[in-house]
Amino acid sequence: MKRRRFLQYLASSGLASMVAGEGIKAAYAPSMRYLRPPGSHDEKTFLAKCIRCGKCGESCPNRAIKFFSTENGLASLDTPFIIPREQACILCMKCGDICPTGAIPKIEYEADTILDGVHMGHARVDVNLCLSFQGKTCGVCYRACPLPDVALRVGMLEQPYVLDKCVGCGLCERSCIQIPQAIKVIPNHTSAS
Amino acid sequence: MENVKLEPSSKLRHLNKLRWLTLTTVFFMLILLPFIYLYQTYEAAHAYDLLTPTEKTISDSMESLTSPFVKDPEELDAIKGTTWSGTLFGLKLSDPLAVVGQVFASLSLYWPFILTAFIPLFATLLLGRFYCGWICPATLIYELNDNLAVWLRKAGLPVSRRKLDRRIKYVVLAVGLILSIYLGAALFASIYPPAIIGREIYYAIALGGFGAGAVFFLLTLLFDLMVSRRGFCRYVCPGGALYSLLGRYRLFRIKRNVTKCNDCAKCNVACQFGLDPLQDDFGMECNNCTACIASCPTDALGFTINMRDSAYQGPGHLGHQYKKEQEGS
Repeated sequence: MKRRRFLQYLASSGLASMVAGEGIKAAYAPSMRYLRPPGSHDEKTFLAKCIRCGKCGESCPNRAIKFFSTENGLASLDTPFIIPREQACILCMKCGDICPTGAIPKIEYEADTILDGVHMGHARVDVNLCLSFQGKTCGVCYRACPLPDVALRVGMLEQPYVLDKCVGCGLCERSCIQIPQAIKVIPNHTSAS
Repeated sequence: MENVKLEPSSKLRHLNKLRWLTLTTVFFMLILLPFIYLYQTYEAAHAYDLLTPTEKTISDSMESLTSPFVKDPEELDAIKGTTWSGTLFGLKLSDPLAVVGQVFASLSLYWPFILTAFIPLFATLLLGRFYCGWICPATLIYELNDNLAVWLRKAGLPVSRRKLDRRIKYVVLAVGLILSIYLGAALFASIYPPAIIGREIYYAIALGGFGAGAVFFLLTLLFDLMVSRRGFCRYVCPGGALYSLLGRYRLFRIKRNVTKCNDCAKCNVACQFGLDPLQDDFGMECNNCTACIASCPTDALGFTINMRDSAYQGPGHLGHQYKKEQEGS
């Protein structure tokens, strides 16, 4: 009899957890423009694989990786993120080395492997804001880009043109001297399946 | 002669001091590592002259602390992380609960990660819930909180010591696993105190403030004070549930030596988990913390290698009840 009551208890709490889960799912509604650490999979896989140990942040020499509280929904509580305008990723790949679960895959610190494996986002230039497009040669984003001429190319008057291989580290957005910034990284994780 | 006292001589009673030493060591490592991380970032930025006075203090003290051991601050990467998942000189160790939760959340087996839990898993199979008593950084705070409860009680404030159903925590574990599958996110990290402690200390030191987990942890402290002694560990903690299950047939367990026992029941008071050493009732909840051994005035408690607890052995042979029975028969 005791065991049966216990099983009933278990079943009903399972049902209750389903209902609670719906609530938590509803609370998950990303409204921020953030990047996941370099090499991360799409959002769904990332959330499933990450155990929220915080070691990626503890290994980031640039202190770019921060951690969500409840602002991005309960499902991404304590998961790592990067706001490129505040502090961008320098593509050192240390977080992938230390990640125990493969949520951030291990990627070698080589230009080829980084171009292959990292798809944090893609930079986009606002031509109306960009100084170089207004005739005031600037070119700061190009100087900041870790993959110049591979990810970002400049025209005669230093106008930036983002190339397909841009990995979305955000160093251009961080360096932009316009306020608001004329070059922005559009994250990949929201569009990827 | 009042000053001639029979001192208990067993060496096992010192294990409790050793346990406090390991608990505090783990806790201070969790505080030290974020500072070392800050020091590493200062070094990486080559910006010593630009640091604020506080940052310079951190940098200087960490440099003097670590320079005898390592030349390059980057070598300090050898020790990273928390008890939830950490790297120790190339050896990656993870909490078995992290692995179980992650396997359920991602519904896939990532062996490099699963293997990191093997050493803790093996130790748990041998020693039971030893993690809860010996390593868990939250245990340190919970035990201090329990001392606080004693003072509060002495001061006349109400401290509740209700008994709940121990099986609640298995329900928490099961529900958490179901929810992890359902939501596709490892939820235990948010409600598991040692994971919270490790993270929150790092947030507070390196990122400038506590996160949401700190609030949850404070609530568990209040739960321990206002509902039940060590209530969270005993009744709610999913990690405790997992370790209890794993340690059910542990080899090393505490056993009462009935010929030395005098029925003083100090062990039952010392046991924060509300177990009953006096009646030989340890069960799967015992975390081998050895607090009862340290409290025993006659050295009647010690370790044994056995898969099961012994059945109730009757009243202690040095106690009144046993003597009465002997005279009666």
